[in-house]
Amino acid sequence: MAVINKRFGATDGHIKMPDGSEHYIFGWVDLTGIPESEIFSYRGKAQLLGPLLEVKVGDEVYLTLTNLGMPVRPDLDDSHTVHWHGFPNQIALYDGVPEASISVPVGRDFVYYYKPLDPGTYMYHCHFEPVEHIQMGMIGPLLVRPADYDPNNPLYKTAYGHGTGTEFDREYFVFLTELDSAAHHQVASVQEYDWTDFSPDYWLINGRSYPDTVKSAGDLPEQPFPALIKANSGEKVLLRYINLGYQQHSIEILGIPVRIVGQDAARPLGLNGEDLAYWKDCNYFAAGQTLDAIFTAPAPGTYPVFNRDCYKNTNAGVTPGGMVSEVQVFAAGTLPPQAGPGQ
Amino acid sequence: MTVNIELWATDGYMSTPDGNSIYIWGFTDTAGKKAQLPGPRIVVTQGDVVSITVHNLLPEATSLLFPGQSGVLADNGTGPHLAEPQFDGTGNLVSLTDFADYPGNPGANPTSIRYIFTAGNPGTYLYESGTNPHKQVPMGLYGAIIVRPADYDPAVPSRKTAYGENTGTEFDREYLIVVSEIDPVLHSAVEKGTDYNIREFKPRYWTMNGRCAPDTMFADGMGCLSNQPYGAMIMAEPGEKILIRYAGAGIENHPLHLHGNHTRVVAEDGRLLKNGTTDLSYKRFTILTGSGQTYDQIFSWSGLGYSQANPIPTTLPNLRNLGVGDAGWTLWSGSPYLGEKGDIPVGVTSFNEMGEYYFMLHSHEEMQITNWGEFPGGLMTMLAIFPAGSLGNVGTIE
Repeated sequence: MAVINKRFGATDGHIKMPDGSEHYIFGWVDLTGIPESEIFSYRGKAQLLGPLLEVKVGDEVYLTLTNLGMPVRPDLDDSHTVHWHGFPNQIALYDGVPEASISVPVGRDFVYYYKPLDPGTYMYHCHFEPVEHIQMGMIGPLLVRPADYDPNNPLYKTAYGHGTGTEFDREYFVFLTELDSAAHHQVASVQEYDWTDFSPDYWLINGRSYPDTVKSAGDLPEQPFPALIKANSGEKVLLRYINLGYQQHSIEILGIPVRIVGQDAARPLGLNGEDLAYWKDCNYFAAGQTLDAIFTAPAPGTYPVFNRDCYKNTNAGVTPGGMVSEVQVFAAGTLPPQAGPGQ
Repeated sequence: MTVNIELWATDGYMSTPDGNSIYIWGFTDTAGKKAQLPGPRIVVTQGDVVSITVHNLLPEATSLLFPGQSGVLADNGTGPHLAEPQFDGTGNLVSLTDFADYPGNPGANPTSIRYIFTAGNPGTYLYESGTNPHKQVPMGLYGAIIVRPADYDPAVPSRKTAYGENTGTEFDREYLIVVSEIDPVLHSAVEKGTDYNIREFKPRYWTMNGRCAPDTMFADGMGCLSNQPYGAMIMAEPGEKILIRYAGAGIENHPLHLHGNHTRVVAEDGRLLKNGTTDLSYKRFTILTGSGQTYDQIFSWSGLGYSQANPIPTTLPNLRNLGVGDAGWTLWSGSPYLGEKGDIPVGVTSFNEMGEYYFMLHSHEEMQITNWGEFPGGLMTMLAIFPAGSLGNVGTIE
């Protein structure tokens, strides 16, 4: 059990799509450990997705939210919050819903305190005018390790704890969102947008659209999370699916069925502990839901990952693009052990 | 026993929080009254013979479907017979079931019809129009049915259940949330008698129990919402078991996300999630409530026990350094602690009564928590945790 201190800044920035288009975003930037005198140099440097929050059951997490303001929209003095989506038994003060507690104005800090109770895959996002702030990019992945997690012991390197049948060798996020470029353009241009007209033209995995999804982390510094899934043949791969878009999505991995071992950060267990884990080929799930799936990497080769709603495999109407990525399987022993989630 | 219900299918208006008044079709259980949205709740007990008579005051034929009920009979004057799809003389389907004609139709068919069924299974169900349903259901001709288990006894905790004793569905309070959508262009076209193509259905409002947020949080029977009698605020005390019934009455599927804790889904479509002795219930923090589906869930919130004696581990900043009431109002008490009130900035209206906590319940397709694009609104309400012993008998459906 550890005390974890994190500091996230809320600001704006820009991201790129593979067709060369650039889009204005709101988002998070990691200020953990940055001297106070330097934090303002992070204004305008929001990334999509926000930094990975990786904590453990029993940790005490102090997360400072610093509202850095929006350099591109200095007129926009919106407050922000952090909502840890799906966290059980939260109190209203730390739940990040401005209508039910507080928000953080420009130039101010607020410390959220979280005590993770249950392992699983969650997400975090700003809950201030969420229809705008989530679509604009104030989102990020959140995973909670089980209390007995030990990356050096295969029996304890699990999603849900020793003995839960959730051992894995590698883990990846499949974090789904959409991008409605008209909305982003309107916000950048200080114009009203009717959110009921929401109509995305890009579909993203981990903040990237294909073929950027399979590029390396450093290729897109503002979008630091590749969506390429790599494993050695025979290894167990944990996929953490998160839908923080506004649509329902159906993700197929051709040739690799997966076993669903968690949904919404809960193991599929009946009231008396019945194990209800099951196999799926195409994972259909909705905004605000998460899935944990495990597969054993098959024979070496490349296996496509794509959205079965095939119109979402496009960039502004042009194919290929959108929610497409790959599972690349190598001969046993080829890849060194994974350094961290998604790497 | 036999339960006799009379419904009138008629028209009326619903109000939206942004000041619109939208023409609806719907049901009322009182002759001469305007339609309400959704239709009157029907609460019966397993084994009851339910007899529902519909009197049609609309300008076209209408009917009722009872999804999830078996052996539904219809009687339009010639005696009860199996309710069946109706075709015109050339074989075109005109209604998914026997219907009540509209007043003044030259055919002079009866304008009232009676449906009879035995409520065979406990659970949450919908009733809805089966005639021109692509128009009549979105217009508001829908409502919910709750069937109590045969052994239901609210005075005995082990028998105050959704599905019967020993089914793991005991509850202390219960709430029903029926979700749908409003495309104002459809409603305006029906009111004016102009053409509308349902393929162009584009909702601008989303409703819980016929109301858009923040009206969802008002109590039942508010005078200013005379045709939208049902509130959608969930109120509970720490540790209580809360039965939450979702019903998807619209065209779209809605991912309903509840803050505060997971719910355990114990039944879908009025069927207990159990296979012999194997319990198939499951926990979720977001329930994708599909069109025509119902989900019965048990929720409980106990918190982490913070109080003045066991304080939160952070220091609350000065109010001047916090955003409070940006929406023009707040539900916050001003205190981190349950049952305590603190300071709220001058000029902000707080609706907090006694230091209760509020957790949001909303569609995570976030454009649906707006009223025609303006947040907050739409498919959103709050779940309130009140201090122990303060709630009395709220959360009772009769």
